[in-house]
Amino acid sequence: MARRAAIIGVGQTKHGRREDVNYVELIYEAVKAAIADAGISPDDIEAVAQGSMPSPMEGVNANHLYWADAMTAFGKPLLRTATCGSVGMSIAHLATYHITSGMFDMVLAVGAQKMFEGDPQGTMATVADPWFQRWFIAGAPGVFSMQAHQYMYRYNLPEERVREAAARISVNHHDNAMDNPYAHLRFKVTMEDVMKSRIIAYPTRLMDVCPSSDGACAVIFASEEKAKKMGRKVAWVKGMNYAGDEHFFGDSDKVVWEAAIVAAKKAYQQAGITNPRKELDVAEVYNPFTYQELIFYECFGFCDFGKACELVEDGVVLRGGELPCDPSGGVLCTNPIGATGLLRVAEAALQVTGRAGDRQIAGAKTALAHAMGGACQFNGIMIVGSEL
Amino acid sequence: MTNRVAIVAVEQLGPEECANDNVRDLTFRVSKNLLNQVGLKREDVGTIVSSSSDFWQGISCSNSVYYDALGAYLKNSSKTEEDGAFAFIYGAMRIMSGHYDTCIVHAITKGSEIPGLSTLTNLYADPFFQRPIGLDDVSTAALQAMLYMNKYKITEEQAAKVVVKNLGNALDNPYAHKKGKFSVEDVLKSRTMAYPIKELDCATYSDGTCALLLTSEEKAKKMTKNPVWLRGMGWCVDHQFFGDRDLLDGALRKAARMAYATAGIKSPSKEINVAEICEPYSFQELLYYEQLGFCGEGEGGKFIDKGNTTMKGKLPVNPSGGVLAHNPYVARGLLRIAEAALQLMGKAEKHQVDGVKTALAHSTHGLAGQHHSVVILGK
Repeated sequence: MARRAAIIGVGQTKHGRREDVNYVELIYEAVKAAIADAGISPDDIEAVAQGSMPSPMEGVNANHLYWADAMTAFGKPLLRTATCGSVGMSIAHLATYHITSGMFDMVLAVGAQKMFEGDPQGTMATVADPWFQRWFIAGAPGVFSMQAHQYMYRYNLPEERVREAAARISVNHHDNAMDNPYAHLRFKVTMEDVMKSRIIAYPTRLMDVCPSSDGACAVIFASEEKAKKMGRKVAWVKGMNYAGDEHFFGDSDKVVWEAAIVAAKKAYQQAGITNPRKELDVAEVYNPFTYQELIFYECFGFCDFGKACELVEDGVVLRGGELPCDPSGGVLCTNPIGATGLLRVAEAALQVTGRAGDRQIAGAKTALAHAMGGACQFNGIMIVGSEL
Repeated sequence: MTNRVAIVAVEQLGPEECANDNVRDLTFRVSKNLLNQVGLKREDVGTIVSSSSDFWQGISCSNSVYYDALGAYLKNSSKTEEDGAFAFIYGAMRIMSGHYDTCIVHAITKGSEIPGLSTLTNLYADPFFQRPIGLDDVSTAALQAMLYMNKYKITEEQAAKVVVKNLGNALDNPYAHKKGKFSVEDVLKSRTMAYPIKELDCATYSDGTCALLLTSEEKAKKMTKNPVWLRGMGWCVDHQFFGDRDLLDGALRKAARMAYATAGIKSPSKEINVAEICEPYSFQELLYYEQLGFCGEGEGGKFIDKGNTTMKGKLPVNPSGGVLAHNPYVARGLLRIAEAALQLMGKAEKHQVDGVKTALAHSTHGLAGQHHSVVILGK
């Protein structure tokens, strides 16, 4: 049996347009909050796991070197991972392996992004290979809109029905963000607002899309021994997996999306989950685009394939439902990409320790956190629980 | 260390081969060759960790383009960025955790396809204070060299001896990019890049890739009679702001201390039989002798004067030619580990050192070595 790891502290910044701080200051805001939350001293942190989006987006090469001091990493072991949108989850996994390897007892995970400082879509356009795909797969919305079309076509679903389900997700998540003091977009929208907002890439409309945000997140992982000494509730890492599929967009099925299915399946196995809809109490699904969230519900086994609209129509995944998704407002309302995946983990940890404030799902014991990245290529999952 | 980690196979592709193909094809070849060596199929591999960099590859999310080519389709595969040694460290931790019993670690850079070293390393600096001054790899190394030379009376001739040794050693390494018989005078006469660093004191800019297969103890014993064991590893980062740093006593001492502690090494110069040191600038090899504890403080120059680190010396350093001979930027750290492993396997052919039982591999990146890692391997 491998060594166990737990989340003992989380910190996040107020997200939004943060012209009041530079990267280093923004990161320190989250790190300081996490250290305070865990009730430890910076000296207790033995190693640091860092990551960000492609570094052209931050405009600093190897930005772990730039952020080192803000992450209290001076004189300590520091590793950097970078896996595009899924990086936040990759950081959480990296930090967990620091613990489960037996090398460390307390590790800080940090992710951050200032999207208002760079050219996010310009950078993301260069994720696609330079020879074949870059000419037509540029930026995120085009890719995910193609996926939405593929979804409707595959199951022969009336466009109006899928449109309505996606809009309902948007309304729900915007409502949720009102309860999250850290969220970037905090306003209510109506079904009409969503369905009449301007087209970004058909069928995706403005209110189906996440914002560009500035923000940072820090999470402290500890060994079983250290976590038990905390004398309070911690979030145990119950399962985690990551999977990617082919680079070329046309090579893989993005509706019955194997990378998402495999990532979830193995994480469930580790966590001993056989019926995710029943056994999970809350899920922080990575949802930069409303339509994509429908696909994830199916790939994660919340419902059968082609049935995600029912899940929304029946309110299962909405507030007050059987398996509420993104009570934080999710990516749809807050998206500092390099931190976004780690925020899902942090929010899941807050839920299972009963510390999520106004966005708390009552009695949540087991939570799923998810992130997606690449040119619609990578998926990572972490399951956290209140019991070891 | 908890679960033991073994290196069972090493594969690298040389600069000529790398010049003629793209990152995706090269990645496929290096990982396929690696698995062929031990008769493994892609399906048999547990996990994969690669290392590349978006800036050093010119492609954002640099592992996206080669993910499936590496054999990672539907596998739990991650990417560490900027230093191939990171991939090794992370891959080893994945095995130590007991989650996986096989792991490919891989690194790649094609220096021929991207902007120059100065441009990309200037981007290491923070955008407000240090970048506008023009700090880059060579200018910061020159400042470090001046400090080192002034404080300990290290000479340009002593630094030049590193070049003579390493480029000479590289003649016996078919994978090295730059090699030849040079004299100390050749080095001193080459044009100045940033005083006191001359052109031959600087690493070249290469294309290269390598991959290692790591396994658990149980798997290793089934797969090979001759595994190489990971005995210890340590890594450490220094401050970002150049003026905040002690350029002669930085992160390397701490990284080495951690590695030696895990490996149980008390007297490095006696217990280590061969070392692969990452020396993008010749004088740094001398400085790193000291920080790795091969000799006392300020004694790096004397250490090479005595010939201790030549192929026939008591502690040969960089029998492969090191980074001065071959510098595929992100891959260079993993190449040091690969070369150290080859020495222990007895597979280093013409640059084999006799009787190697313990080997050290070092890697660094960042301005004047902001980040260092040290890996100790043994038989």
